[in-house]
Amino acid sequence: MAKKVGIVGAAVTPFKGRWYEKTYYELAQMATREAVKDAAISIKDVDAAFYSIYNDIFERTCIPEHPLHGIIGMQHKPGIRISCGGATGAYTISAAHAYLAGERFKIVLVLGVEKATDCFDFLSMSATPEVIKAIAWSGDSFFEQKLGWSASDSYAEVVLGYMDEHPGDLKPEVTAQISSQLSKQARTNPYAQRQFDQVTPEEVMNSRYIVYPFKELEICVYSEGAAALILAEEETAKAMAKNSGKPIVWITGLGEANEHSFAGKNQKDMSRIMSGHLASHRAYDMAGIEDPVKAIQVVELHDAFVHELEITLAEFGLVPLGRADSLIEEGIMLPGGRLLVSPSGGLIYCGHAVGASNIMSAWSARKELIERNLRTAMVHGTGSTVAQYMACQILEHE
Amino acid sequence: MAEKKQKVIPDEYIPEVASRVVTIEGSDYLVENDAMYTFYERSMGEFSPFFLAIRDEKKILGCKCTKCGIVRVPPMLTHCPDCDFAPTQPVEVGQVGRMNTTPPITYFATSLFLHIAPYGRGRVILEGADTAMSVNLYTTTGILVPGLIKKGTEVKVIFKGERVGEITDIFCVPTSELTPDQITKKGLEESELNWATPKEPVFPKASEEDIAIYKQSLKEMQALAAEMSKSKRARKAIEGWKRDIAVKTKAGEFAMCINDGDFSIEERRLGSPDFVMACEDPKTLLDGLSYKGAITDSVIMKKLWISKNMEFNTIFKLDRLARFLAREKKEAAKQ
Repeated sequence: MAKKVGIVGAAVTPFKGRWYEKTYYELAQMATREAVKDAAISIKDVDAAFYSIYNDIFERTCIPEHPLHGIIGMQHKPGIRISCGGATGAYTISAAHAYLAGERFKIVLVLGVEKATDCFDFLSMSATPEVIKAIAWSGDSFFEQKLGWSASDSYAEVVLGYMDEHPGDLKPEVTAQISSQLSKQARTNPYAQRQFDQVTPEEVMNSRYIVYPFKELEICVYSEGAAALILAEEETAKAMAKNSGKPIVWITGLGEANEHSFAGKNQKDMSRIMSGHLASHRAYDMAGIEDPVKAIQVVELHDAFVHELEITLAEFGLVPLGRADSLIEEGIMLPGGRLLVSPSGGLIYCGHAVGASNIMSAWSARKELIERNLRTAMVHGTGSTVAQYMACQILEHE
Repeated sequence: MAEKKQKVIPDEYIPEVASRVVTIEGSDYLVENDAMYTFYERSMGEFSPFFLAIRDEKKILGCKCTKCGIVRVPPMLTHCPDCDFAPTQPVEVGQVGRMNTTPPITYFATSLFLHIAPYGRGRVILEGADTAMSVNLYTTTGILVPGLIKKGTEVKVIFKGERVGEITDIFCVPTSELTPDQITKKGLEESELNWATPKEPVFPKASEEDIAIYKQSLKEMQALAAEMSKSKRARKAIEGWKRDIAVKTKAGEFAMCINDGDFSIEERRLGSPDFVMACEDPKTLLDGLSYKGAITDSVIMKKLWISKNMEFNTIFKLDRLARFLAREKKEAAKQ
C-alpha cells in the first residue's frame, strides 16, 4: 500500500512582469526559505528537491537547476528536474508524490521557478514577442515551427475545434465576464502580478485580438517568480503539523495523460482536450470521487486562456461539454456559486511564471481550503502543443 | 532551383554588445544585451523524401500502413504506431483538401513572425490522407479575417516559385478563390494566382459636417496624445519606438508621431512617413486611442487601412498606449 502524502508547507514570491532586482537563483531561494519557514522545519530536514523549470531558454541555461541545488541548501541530496511544457509544475508534484508514496523519502521540496522576461526583442523593443518566440521553439521543428506555431495559436486550434462542435458555447460576452471575475479575485492576492488591474467585461470585449479568437485580456501574462511546496509522507506530515500548528492538506488523487501532438484519424481530436478528461478522471478514481460536481469546491486551474478554462472545466465533468458558459449563465463560478475557480486570479491575473505556475496554484488551493475551511480542491496543469499534456491533483483538507 | 541567399539569423535581429543600468528604489541593477545561439547542419533524415518531393517535384507525400492502410501526411513514420510497428510505404496524396477545424489567425506574433502577421495556420486533410497537415493559410483577397476559412472549407496547396525544401515552400488558399483549371492543376504556383494588390482607399468628398467631426476628433486626439506623453505608464508602451505616420481621413490629413515615449498629433502633411493609415471616419482612430475598441480590430475589420502589414506591430503599441492611459486614469479616479 502506497504511503499517504500531504502538503505541510508552501510559499510563493510575488509574481512580477519583470524582476530586475533578482536572478532566478535568488527567486528560487526566496521561495525555499519561505516554504521551510511555513512548514516550521530546517532545510536540513528535507530529503530531496524536485525542480519545476519549464524552459531552458528563459533561464538562459541548460540544466538550469544545477546552480540552485547548493544555494538552497541541498548539497549531497538528490535533485530531479521535471520539464513538461506548461504542465511542468503539476507533473513535478506528481513525481514528488510518487517518490514519497513509494517510501523513498520522508520530506521533499517541490520548487518551481521561471524568469521569462529577460528575453527581449530588440526589433520591437519589447519583451513579449521574444518570450513567445522562446516558447515557440517548443513546437514541432520539422513541420510547424516555421509556419509560425506558437503556444497561443496551438491552444486556439483546440478552442476553435471545440467551437466548431459547440457553436453556441464560449460566447464572447461570457469569456469577457469570466476574465472580469478573475481580475476581481486577484484583488485579494498580494502576490499577483495584476493585483490592482480589475477590468470590466466591456474592457475585455474592447481589448485587441492577439490570436483569433483570443483577446488580450483573455490571455495570461508572462511573469517572473517562484513557488515552493514542502510535501511529506503520512507519519512525518502528522508530526510536522503538530509542530507547525498548520493543518495538513492531503494529496489524495493524481492523474496524468498526454495526447498525440498531430491531428486526424487515430490522432488528436481537436474538438476535445482528452488529456484533461483522462487526467481528471484518473485523479477522481484514485481519490474515490464518484461525483466531482458534488465533491470539488475549489479548482485552481492552469487557465492560460479563458476559453481553455471553460473547456477544461467541461472535460473535468464540472459543467457539461457544450454548456461551459453555464459557469457564468448559471452563476456557478460567480460569488456564491458552487465552484471557486482560480481564486488566486489564475494565470491571467496572478501571472504565469511557467515552472512556478502550477505550484502557485497548489499554494493557493491549500490556502483556500484552510482559510475557508473547505474540504476538496483540484489543481491542474496543461501544456505542450494543442493541450497535449495534462496533470491533475486532488487536495483534501483533513 | 534557386537558393535563398540570406543569413540563418538576419542581421536586424541581432543587438549590439551593450548594457544599461535600471534604478529601482534607489538601487542600481545591471542589464546586459545577450543571446543564446546554436547553429545546426540539421538532417531531415526519414523526412527527406517528403521535403525533396515538395522542392523538386511539387508533390505531397504521405505514408501508408501496410497493415491498417491509414495514410498519414506528413509521413509519420516508417512504421505504424497503431499496428505494433508494421512497416509503412510512401504514397502520393492529392493537393486539394478540407480544413480539419477552423484555423486560428495570429495577429500578435513571435518576434520571428511579426513581419508576416496577420497569418493563419491550420490543419488540412488532403485527398487520400487520413491525418491533418499544418499549413499556412492565405487569401488572395487581402488580409485573412475570421470566418473566411472554417472547418470543412476546401483549400488547395500552392507551391512557392523558389523552394528550398521546407514546409514553408507550400501554403493553402480556399479553392473558392481559384478557377476550375487552377483547382485541378497539380503543382500550382504562387505566381499563377490573382493576388489583390493593396490600394490606398479613396474617400468621397467631405461635407461640412464631416469637416466639423474631423476638427473635433483631431482636437480630442491631440488632447489624448498630450496626456499620453505625460503618463509614465503610457510612455512605456512606446519606449524605444520611433514612427512618423501620415493619417488620411475623409476630411483631412494629419501626422501622428511616436518618438521614444513622446506621442504627438499635429495637423500637417509628412514628407516621408514611415507608413500611411487611412480611415474614412477619424472617430475610428479616436475610439481606439480612447480605449473604446481596439485599433487592431479596426484594421482587421477593414475600417482602417495601413500601407505596410508589418506595421501591425505599431498598431499594437498604439492599442497598448490607449490601454495604459485608460488604466492610469481609472486608478487615479479610485484614489
